[in-house]
This record gives sequence, structure tokens and C-alpha cells, in this order.
Amino acid sequence: MAKQAKATKASGGDNFTRWLVIGMVTLVVATGAIFSVVGQKNKANESFAALNGFKQGGAIAATVDPANGSGITLASTATKTIDLWEDPQCPICNNFEQANGAYIDELVRTNKAKVTYHVLSFLGNESISAANAEFCAADEGHYLDFHKAVYMVQPALENSGFWTSTNLLKIGKYVGLTSKSFTDCVNKASKLDQVKAAYDSMPKYNVKGTPTVFINGKLWERKNSSFLLDEFRTAVEAG
Amino acid sequence: MKNFNRKYQPILTLLARLVLGGVLLVAGGLKALKPSESASAVAAYKILPTQIAHLAGYALPWLEIAVGILLIIGLSARFAAVVGALVMVLFVIAIISVWARGLLIDCGCFGGGGAVDPAQAAQVHRTYLLEILRDLGLALIGLYLYFFPYGLVSIEKPLQIIEEQ
Repeated sequence: MAKQAKATKASGGDNFTRWLVIGMVTLVVATGAIFSVVGQKNKANESFAALNGFKQGGAIAATVDPANGSGITLASTATKTIDLWEDPQCPICNNFEQANGAYIDELVRTNKAKVTYHVLSFLGNESISAANAEFCAADEGHYLDFHKAVYMVQPALENSGFWTSTNLLKIGKYVGLTSKSFTDCVNKASKLDQVKAAYDSMPKYNVKGTPTVFINGKLWERKNSSFLLDEFRTAVEAG
Repeated sequence: MKNFNRKYQPILTLLARLVLGGVLLVAGGLKALKPSESASAVAAYKILPTQIAHLAGYALPWLEIAVGILLIIGLSARFAAVVGALVMVLFVIAIISVWARGLLIDCGCFGGGGAVDPAQAAQVHRTYLLEILRDLGLALIGLYLYFFPYGLVSIEKPLQIIEEQ
């Protein structure tokens, strides 16, 4: 003990070495962090490559009913109804979208089904940002395209820093959303009330996870482990 | 006990440095390889605002690597041990906070991380306890190094030993 105490007293006098070490550590941490951040930025840019040549489907009117959990309703005059509960960051919702998105798009655009998207946000802060932007897109009549594009660039990881206003506005550009009202809505997070209302309405509809699908108000339960277009189409046509 | 420590202190210090430094180096290295996972793991604790959490997630692995290397080679071992122990205490506080708020996450201690399926709640709670105990143990090792930073196979040597040579 005595030996150690003496020794440390001696080395404690060497301020130069101490600051050198602290400086080196700070340098390593700073360079490493910058290196990681830049790497992530590049990766995010790469994911936007998926949107090159994005085919815009065109504007389609959407209504949002605050009394009904702020669902985004498209083709509201059709008799058949489909209710979809999704979180922008949920990877399984993305699987559902890959399998059935184009079909649902067609149903809406040909007025064959009244489709209501319930945009949830229980996967963290970045889901809230993305959901807010989806409500903004709905206001501008570009929900379908924006929603599709969001899933096309969705990173494999949740809350990894991807869903920033900058990136959400960039997605908007690919689908023709460049208006000032959209930009303001995303930057100011103007739709948080609706985002919250949608989330709060989960228990009312007994929705516990995503994706959850109701066809004509009846819960759709898939029999296959993966999403198959044929299975979904049959269920919609029968429902 | 005192005699035991006096006799084996140099080797105990070496072991302590290798254990704490090794764990930090491995944990930091695994996380530095997958920075986005690290960033999202820190965000999953929901303690810091998302942006700052991401920054912390990017920086933390490098701090662990730097401190780990210092401990292993035995340079500024006392300083490195204090930083290492503080980091461990921080982890313990973070896990307790997550546990108390009822969040179910994977700590992301060695890469990975994020929310966990609620069906595995019981298992996650057991994991929290083990992680808290492990990190407390590592913090104690750091504390030991604060008092006895000089041991075998170390770049930096106390002046007295140098004089003896």
C-alpha cells in the first residue's frame, strides 16, 4: 500500500503525460465518432438510390377523421373497407407492403375499396417523426406515394437516426411533395395531435401489434407465415 | 487479507487490467463495427433525446476502445480505470432506469440492442439483473485499479520501481 501511494504521488507530478493521454483519448473518440457518423450519412444516401426513377401514382384525396383515431381514409366512397394498422419503422409492415402494396394501391385508385391507414408510432421517437410526415403527406393528397416511398427506404434498424426532417423531406421530393406547406408541416411536426390520437385509439380497436388488417371490420388472419398476395387478394374479394 | 494483497498485488492489478480492459475493448470493438446499431441501442434506453442519443451511440464504442487499450498496455492505468469504472456505473444506472420504467430492451452491451418482444419479459428482467451485477463487478475492478494501478507487464511504472532497477 505504501509503495503504491508513493508511486502514484510521483507519477501524479507528471502532468504532461496525463494531459497527453487525455488528449489522445479525446482525439480517438472524436475521430471515431466522426468516422461513424459520416459512414451512416453515406449509408442513408445509398438507401435513397432505391427511389431513383420512383413512379409517382399521382395525387389522391385523403380524409382524416380525428374522432375515428385519426385514420387516413382513401377512396371514401367505396363500400368495401380495409383498415391497415402500421408503424413506419416496422419491418414486418414493410414485408406486407412489398407483397400487397401495389394491389392496395390499385384498389384505392380504382375506387374498389375504402382503405384507411392507421399510422402508429410505438417504435420510438423516429416513428413519431415519420408518422407526422405521413399525416403531412395525406393533407397534400400524396399519402399513397409517400407511404410507399417510406417503406422503400426503410432502414433495417429502428431509431438509428435515419428519420430526420431532412431525410423525410428528401423522400417527399421523390414523390412530388415540395410545397412549402409540406415542408413546414414536417419541420414543425404539426401533426403530433393526430399521431397521438392514432396511437391512443389502439385499445379501442383491440389492436396490439403491426401490421394488423381488418377487412370489412373483420380481423384478417393470415395462414401462411409470409405475406402472399394471392392469400390477401382472396380474403379481400371474399370479405 | 492485507498480507495477501501485498503479496499478490502486482498480479492482481495485471488481472484486473486485463479483465476490465479486455471487456471494454471487445464491447467497444463489436459496437464500433456496427455504428448504427450502437446509435439505435442508446436511443432505445429513451433517456437522452434521440439526436443526442445517436451521437452518444457513435462516440461510446470509441471511448471504450481507447480506455480498453490503455488498461491492457498499462498506460495511465489509474486514469483509464476511473473512466472505465464511471462508464460501468453509467451502464448500471441506465439499466436500472430502463427496468424501473418497465421498458423491455436488449442492453446492446456487446452490439445489437433495441426493443424486445414483450413475450420475453421474464427473461429480459433476469438479464437486467445479471447485467447490473456484471457491470458493478467491473466497476469494482476499476476501483481496485484506482488504488493499485501499478502491476506486472505495464508500460508505465512507478518511479520507485524504476529507481530500484
